[in-house]
Amino acid sequence: MNYVQPWVILAFSAIIFFIGFAGILVRRNILVVLMCIELMLNAANLTFVTFSKQLHHMGGQMSVFFIITVAAAESAIGLGLVVAMFRTLRSVDTDDIQLLRE
Amino acid sequence: MEALNTIRPELLTFSREQIVAISPYIWLFGGSVLAIVAAALRVISPKWPVFLITLATLIAGTISSFLLMSNEPMVLFSGKMVADVYANFFNLIFMISAIVTAMASLRYLDDGKIQHPEYYLLLLFSVMGMMLMASSLDLVVLFIALELMSLSVYVLVGFRRTDRRSNEAAMKYFILGGAASAILLYGAALLYGATGSTGIRDMLAFIQKSPEGVSPLFVLGSWLVVIGFLFKVASVPFHMWMPDVYEGAPAPITGFMTTGLKAAAFAAFMRVFVSAGYGAGLAESLRTHLHDILWISAVLTMVVGNVIALTQTNLKRMLAYSSISHTGYLLVGMIAGPLSEQGYAPVALYLVSYAAMNLGAFVILTILAAKDDSGLNLHDMSGLSRRHPWIAFSMAVFMLSMAGIPPTAGFAAKYYLFYSAIQAREVPLVVISVLCSAISVYYYLRVLVYMYMRDPVESPSGQRVSIWAALAVAAMVALTLQIGVLPERMVTAARKAVISL
Repeated sequence: MNYVQPWVILAFSAIIFFIGFAGILVRRNILVVLMCIELMLNAANLTFVTFSKQLHHMGGQMSVFFIITVAAAESAIGLGLVVAMFRTLRSVDTDDIQLLRE
Repeated sequence: MEALNTIRPELLTFSREQIVAISPYIWLFGGSVLAIVAAALRVISPKWPVFLITLATLIAGTISSFLLMSNEPMVLFSGKMVADVYANFFNLIFMISAIVTAMASLRYLDDGKIQHPEYYLLLLFSVMGMMLMASSLDLVVLFIALELMSLSVYVLVGFRRTDRRSNEAAMKYFILGGAASAILLYGAALLYGATGSTGIRDMLAFIQKSPEGVSPLFVLGSWLVVIGFLFKVASVPFHMWMPDVYEGAPAPITGFMTTGLKAAAFAAFMRVFVSAGYGAGLAESLRTHLHDILWISAVLTMVVGNVIALTQTNLKRMLAYSSISHTGYLLVGMIAGPLSEQGYAPVALYLVSYAAMNLGAFVILTILAAKDDSGLNLHDMSGLSRRHPWIAFSMAVFMLSMAGIPPTAGFAAKYYLFYSAIQAREVPLVVISVLCSAISVYYYLRVLVYMYMRDPVESPSGQRVSIWAALAVAAMVALTLQIGVLPERMVTAARKAVISL
């Protein structure tokens, strides 16, 4: 039986987290930005589960359920806002969000 | 099977005392359920049933929180939540700001043709989230409460659905707020790995047990959590979203965000800070580390907020930058907290005073706003004293209070805050804050100059003043002057609240 070492998973989730973070800063399509936020939340989930396994403590795994629920609510609201914005702006590009900058 | 043995029956039942201790939360929860039903029915009229249920719920919650102020702290839900004086003190701020917001919005929503009952529902949900934030003792519970608050507010910001500004503001706030929440959550995950628990008090116990040094994992985790909080309170360099969001949001919601949201973020920030042993028990190196981060952030926040506010001509945007500068003063209080004998009481007092004066100012902006929140520029204020003498007087009181001129709440709060900072030997910081506060007098008094010394202009803004909004303004003027003239009682309340932490 070969188990994956915990640090591998931790490093992996750290990489996912930073991919998500960089995506928010770099990507221009709002739908992709929403996915990047989900990516960051899921990286936190993975970290929780890994530590939970490592520490033999159920609290971390329990937290994940709550976080998944919150993430679902968040993406529902995010998509709703995207639809509302598309109706007035006719675009889902972050470059077009500039009315308030004037 | 082991896991089953750990379920203890006493955790599944409530004692009478526990039910009494969470009664404000029960009121709010019951009221939201009722309001959902009333909103779904829509039989009589779309606004009155939900509005009245919201108001009644919030008033009931306020009264029960007020009565619970003298109770002993009680830990609930196996250490996930605590109902103490501190939580109830902040509950009062949240619920009163929601009452004022609801009262101010009634006419505003009618004028904008966006009178949907969901508005009041979302207000109730976000107050629930704020209350849970102020009383949570666990980082995951804190995260859920934070999201409950933020998700409702994202929708409220975009409530003027047909207006492009409102939509853009909501989207911007959603993306940046979601990123900040995720950063905070990742920090919580790392702290969980470093200490073996998500409970704030367990973390403190863990740190105290291993005083020889904290692991890099812990340092990184606390960094991320602090960044998440600094974002939520909008301190420089995480402030970029704030002016845009405040300008795009409907005026009453902007007022709600500057007071409720800020107070909630600071309440949770202080609780995590104090409980995680910023004052005592932390390694010396980590403490100076945090101190330096907050010091730099406080100075930048005060300077940037005040200097940019000087050039603003839109009142909403000006108040947004002034809100940033007030965050800076609050951070000064956070730095001074563990080092002076007042503790964090000045921060709590400042939050109350700031809530009173800022809510009042935003209710006035709500009254004056024309359709789509235009007509809030400085020159629209010209000669307001002749068109609406009482509104101009109230606005003058709020502006003087924000500038920190004596018989008002702003002066008492600033005096107390800077005094504690001097006790903590942060003299350079106090000098910078006083200078910044002197700069701020210019842009606050400019509003007075326009209101009292310019000739009236033809303004499209609302002619009639709704009785609800007038009541709200009058209550806020009374509170501002009361804290300013007799700060004694509020100082005692703030001190009691902070001691119970």
